[in-house]
Amino acid sequence: MFRFLMLSVLGLCVFAATGQARPVSYPGGVTVMVMNNGDRNSLHIHYSPTALYSVGYLSEYWRDSETTLQMLQVNNLLKRWNKPDSQANIYLKSGIGMAYSDYGDFDHDSDVAAFTGIAADWESRRFFVSYANRYNDFGQMGDFYMQSGRVGVAPYIGDYGDIHSWLMLEVDHNPESSEPLTVTPLVRFFKGVHLLETGMSNKGDVLFNYIVRF
Amino acid sequence: MKKLSILLLLGVFILSSPAWALSKQVDVKINGLVCDFCAQAMEKVFGKQDEVADISVDLDTKIVTINMKDGQNMDDAVITKLITDSGYNVEEIMRHE
Repeated sequence: MFRFLMLSVLGLCVFAATGQARPVSYPGGVTVMVMNNGDRNSLHIHYSPTALYSVGYLSEYWRDSETTLQMLQVNNLLKRWNKPDSQANIYLKSGIGMAYSDYGDFDHDSDVAAFTGIAADWESRRFFVSYANRYNDFGQMGDFYMQSGRVGVAPYIGDYGDIHSWLMLEVDHNPESSEPLTVTPLVRFFKGVHLLETGMSNKGDVLFNYIVRF
Repeated sequence: MKKLSILLLLGVFILSSPAWALSKQVDVKINGLVCDFCAQAMEKVFGKQDEVADISVDLDTKIVTINMKDGQNMDDAVITKLITDSGYNVEEIMRHE
């Protein structure tokens, strides 16, 4: 736990930022998030009873370890700063469920799995900065820590309903990986309730994310 | 004299009415409106209110314009609560006839 805290603090210092879109919506809002990168494919569907938290389902597949997660995920908005031209947030994201493996010594094994982490973001209509970390415990299949940061700039400012474009750079840090750092330049397109991101990492892996909010 | 009295009474009645009684359009300046998801949140939240005919969001000015249905209105406290509960802050509420 101490190591997790230290790594979190280090992450906050090293990366000026975090992950993807906000994990809590407006009261009654439903969000579907499909995320794909070199490490994993995930589907997260969440419902926000209030603007302070959301509950949802997370399905995640880690390709290298051939591990599938099926989880209940809860996201809490810990703090929000609303300013005339910007907004900043700190979230706690946690999940609990089952992990299934099809890999090596753990082939066909399953175990209780959980994760927790902090996400923070700051956004204006021109600039975006975010940071997220996550400690994963997949039971007998092991535990690990990861963090990511992101910076972005909008080349133009569009009105509500226009297609908004963002140029972004994401850095993922998985300390226990053989290649801990992954750098992914990406573009984000955002129109109405749809948000789409695509890019390619320095390892040649494609990033493709799609979010829709109802 | 009778006509003058009626006009005076009418004037007193109008002037003594709450300011919002004749407000068909309400402009609300909001802190934290930075993206389309924020604008959508305002549309969804106010769209569910019986008093509201329609709303529009201007991300440049950060002003949400709420048009009320005929004979309907919302007071400042209700508007402020709806926006605060949605995760944003009200900076100013401006009313127009």
